[in-house]
Amino acid sequence: MTPRETLESWHRAGRKVVHEADAKDLLQRIGIPVPKRNPAEGRCVAKLCHDDYPHKSDHGLVRLGLSPEEAKRATTEMAQRFPGGTTLIEEMEDGSVAEWIIGCKRDDTFGPIVLAGPGGILVELIDTAEIRLAPAKPQTAESMVRSGPGARMLAGLRGAEPADRGGLADLISRISVFFAENADLISEIEINPVMVRADGKGLVAADALIVLSPNADEQES
Amino acid sequence: MVELDTNRMAERRRTVAQALDGLFDPGTIAVVGASRTRGKLGQAVLALLKSNGYRGRIIPVNPSGGEIEGLEAVRSLEEIDGPIDVVVLATPVGVALDALENCTRLDVKVVVGVTSGFSEAGEDGQENELRLRRIMQNAPFRLVGPNCEGVVRPASDLQLTFSPMFNDLRPGPVAIISQSGALAGLMALRLGERGVGINAIVSSGNETDLTAADLLDYLGNDPQTRVVLCYVEELRDGRRFVEVARQLAKAGKHVVAVKGGRSRAGSRAVQSHTGAMAGDDRVISAVFRETGVIRARESVAAVDAVTALAAGRRPAGNRVGIISVTGGLGVEMTDLAESAGFEVPVLAEATQTALSRYVPFYGSVSNPVDLTGVVLANPTYVGRCLEAVADDPGVDIAIAIITFVPDQQFIEALAEAFDSTGKPILIVWTGAARSNASGEALRERAVPVYDSPARAASGLAALAATTGEVS
Repeated sequence: MTPRETLESWHRAGRKVVHEADAKDLLQRIGIPVPKRNPAEGRCVAKLCHDDYPHKSDHGLVRLGLSPEEAKRATTEMAQRFPGGTTLIEEMEDGSVAEWIIGCKRDDTFGPIVLAGPGGILVELIDTAEIRLAPAKPQTAESMVRSGPGARMLAGLRGAEPADRGGLADLISRISVFFAENADLISEIEINPVMVRADGKGLVAADALIVLSPNADEQES
Repeated sequence: MVELDTNRMAERRRTVAQALDGLFDPGTIAVVGASRTRGKLGQAVLALLKSNGYRGRIIPVNPSGGEIEGLEAVRSLEEIDGPIDVVVLATPVGVALDALENCTRLDVKVVVGVTSGFSEAGEDGQENELRLRRIMQNAPFRLVGPNCEGVVRPASDLQLTFSPMFNDLRPGPVAIISQSGALAGLMALRLGERGVGINAIVSSGNETDLTAADLLDYLGNDPQTRVVLCYVEELRDGRRFVEVARQLAKAGKHVVAVKGGRSRAGSRAVQSHTGAMAGDDRVISAVFRETGVIRARESVAAVDAVTALAAGRRPAGNRVGIISVTGGLGVEMTDLAESAGFEVPVLAEATQTALSRYVPFYGSVSNPVDLTGVVLANPTYVGRCLEAVADDPGVDIAIAIITFVPDQQFIEALAEAFDSTGKPILIVWTGAARSNASGEALRERAVPVYDSPARAASGLAALAATTGEVS
């Protein structure tokens, strides 16, 4: 199945919010790095992904810093509490220098747009994200990581190492192209956070969400 | 059979360019609702069309016929022989829709719907709106409006409106597209007072057929247009609007837009941070910036921006040189420029030497330059000083501040200084004589003239926006 066919099958199945595990599978197929799954050693993140509960931590469905064994036990317990979910055990990313949010949505006035800015808890800061029309060309994506208040963070505040801005710009451009090509099926994609490592070391999508467009009959009402 | 008919209709449907060519330089205009009764829309449209000197054929349409405003009236559109470039609908809505239906069977290029009572009237207008859309589906002509204030083109002496706000405009480089007729009137009048010329004004109303994007494409690409000023509340084809604007910016033209209306955010459940972070207003600012549209926060600030841009000059940077006949206004201008992100640098030594030939010892030749009132005694001094400052390699934009004008030579000297340079020059003229004959030399050249430092600073901000890269 092509990524588009996957989206179509989700749409046909009546899904509205596509949970993290499925969203990441799809993102990986369009070239966006995601954390390694089911590692044999090291620190892990354990999650239970469910379309009906996109805000996992509100329901105790995210646990950090576990051993692989602990992670398996944790996901078993979560699955008992929330039947129908998909368990996810991933390698925990600890080499990042910045957490970023990348989002795409359809704007009522201009159609597909892409947004990028400080992610994680920093999304609560107002007016820090850069917004452009989607698809964003590589040089447009490059301008998004080099302008606005976030640019200084990526450049490295007070002697901190600069973040991998080239990798981040590539991700922004890639996801904006995918979104714009499939905006009839998707109303929003969000990666929050992207863990951005130091310059040249890449990045990884730590969490992701896809909101599908309502079916035509639902739009009528 | 019905399908065949539809196809044939679609085939002979005018393109936007055909319709608008006819609209802005019409040979024949029919005014439906033309009336002898003062206060009626149709009476006002006909009277303004005549009093502004339109030289083409005007045909009043009124079921009682006879003579109206000295013109032979027809009883209905069908009585008119040959093609009609423009039909104006200025009647109550029911009559207007009947006339619109008649137009589908006639050789009409474009209809201007001044009439109200459609979607803007909510539920009460719903039936009219449906009928309007049904007629337009297969109409061979194009429609401006309805619920609009009309169309103005000074170069064609064309004043198709019931509003006197558009009287006595001079032809020039600015096109106005406005979803509000009243705001078009306000902006046109202010521009006119400042001597900025107008290429065309369209009040686009409900935009049932022709949209702001259609009009931007047509008027922006008109060689006479340097700046397009838009007031929009709802952009129907927003994506096309900004793509057209992007092309215009690349071609060296400017689009200034005021976006009115409150955000509709919050009406839908927000499932992600993206939804909350990309609220309507932030998206508009970001997309306008990306595509080179200069966003003004309200209509007078937009007029300030257009005034600065109409001369067609772009600054190379943000360094401002200021000369003033009075110290206080120079200081205020400097404060405002600096707080808007401009530099007011010390002038080059050669410039200071040149200035010191005209400035008395109790003035100042640094920046802002205080010429003192002495220059009023020698009318050419102020022009020479402006030339010297504009010549300074460390200055990107020159501002001359004057109060009252002692004589005509004074203004001509300023105009000559404007001609001596390619850099943007702004004039702050605080005295009362701005709109009389003395300023003609400046108006001819589209030199930006403001009545206060604050308004000039608002124009400066627009000049700064033109230096940004449009990708």
